[in-house]
Amino acid sequence: MKAMLQVAPLDVVMRSLADPTRRAVFERIALSDETTVAELTEGSGVTQSAISQHLRSLKEAGLVVDRAQGRNVYYRVEQKGLAPLVDWMSHYGVFWRKRFTKLRSLLKEIDP
Amino acid sequence: MNDANLKTRVETDAQQITQQIVVDEVFPHAPQTIWRTLTTGDLIGRWLMEPTGFEPVEGKRFTFQTKPAGAWDGVIHCQVLEVIANERLAYSWKSGDEKNVGYGSRLDTVVTWTLTKVGSATRLRLVHSGFVTPKNDSAFDSMGGAWPKVVQSIGSLAGESH
Repeated sequence: MKAMLQVAPLDVVMRSLADPTRRAVFERIALSDETTVAELTEGSGVTQSAISQHLRSLKEAGLVVDRAQGRNVYYRVEQKGLAPLVDWMSHYGVFWRKRFTKLRSLLKEIDP
Repeated sequence: MNDANLKTRVETDAQQITQQIVVDEVFPHAPQTIWRTLTTGDLIGRWLMEPTGFEPVEGKRFTFQTKPAGAWDGVIHCQVLEVIANERLAYSWKSGDEKNVGYGSRLDTVVTWTLTKVGSATRLRLVHSGFVTPKNDSAFDSMGGAWPKVVQSIGSLAGESH
């Protein structure tokens, strides 16, 4: 039984990147140095407002950052944004998560 | 900017980062109960690994024996750094060998457990800090090249996770 669920950064990152269109937007930002909503919309087959929504989600997940210059907003990838994912996939990330699961069962056994 | 440039950027960034791993979960048990599982040799052995010489006393040295790799004998050398009963436990975690990369590479890290009471439950936070990238994190290095592929596969992973 999980008493309380908290939203971990990993969940936010995974949820944000689970959407294929949003993931495509993220990849396009990653492959450019900096880009704008207009550039991302061009040839994407998706409306500008949909792109804007995806950008908001990516920004909330800490995956992209923006900066305003004149009338334009420029988006680029936040390099540390994927760190929760890297942790999760690394040896010790997996190691500790497994240990937490074992600890949870042990606690259930000694303190039912 | 092409894939090669992206990789370079990620690696350049990685060189400046000391990484830490954080696992943070809420358990439906009192801090005292969880504290016991973190600080009693027999109980530690049942969920983590069996320690040799562990005592929750600052300065105390202990070891874990795990799978050897290359020039490393598989022994993790630890020393208790901080003990605040039912609240905080920290120990050093040193292992590996300079000659290894990835698993078994030289580690000079610190494991810190923090317990916070949340109603009748306890938030347990683990911070394993001091991983120097890219030396200690082959994942980081190799992921530079595999980045787009990894990002693509997240869709299916995330599908499984909730």
